[in-house]
Amino acid sequence: MGRSTKKGPYVDPKLFAKLIKARETNSSQAITTWARRCTIVPEFVGATFMVHNGKAHIKVFVTEDMVGHKLGEFAPTRTFRGHGGKGGKK
Amino acid sequence: MPRLLGVDIPNDKQVVYSLQYLYGVGPAIARDACVKTKINPTKKARELDEDELSRLASLLERDFTVEGPLRRQVGQAIHRLREIKCYRGMRHKLGLPVRGQRTRTNARTRKGPRKTVAGKKGVKDLR
Repeated sequence: MGRSTKKGPYVDPKLFAKLIKARETNSSQAITTWARRCTIVPEFVGATFMVHNGKAHIKVFVTEDMVGHKLGEFAPTRTFRGHGGKGGKK
Repeated sequence: MPRLLGVDIPNDKQVVYSLQYLYGVGPAIARDACVKTKINPTKKARELDEDELSRLASLLERDFTVEGPLRRQVGQAIHRLREIKCYRGMRHKLGLPVRGQRTRTNARTRKGPRKTVAGKKGVKDLR
């Protein structure tokens, strides 16, 4: 089930504060975050985030098309190494 | 057989049902179209005259997204997901279920026919 419209999209408050701060100081450095559940709002467009995938931080450059998705959708948590091959892997 | 919106040729069923052979037309839109064009929904599609056909065609094109435009709309939506390389887009690319279904078993619609791997443990061995 989707989130109630009454509440609006979930935006991580800490992350948003970080973004505002980065804007003010004109820093173009990527913002490191663990907030995968944070919705991408129009204010994020053009910013670069380092989104945690459980192991490392994946660089995500936010474009207009990404608005409405969550940050986590762009930092895959699983690596598929493929099936089969001679004798299998490992 | 009557032709509607280019390629589609619904057969000699009742109008409500034959309309559903169009891509993007289901029970709701079929019923709606009959009401709006004042065509008896239980009439056979074969009995539709020129005027009724053109009324149906123009109504479906104007008020609903069907056939070509709808296909294009869906394609573009998927293309967008691929483009931004989000999770759903990646699943489309890989040809795997997109909405979090299990893939250990089933998921044959997306994955296609089973590809048997030689030398892999059989079902009996697993148990």
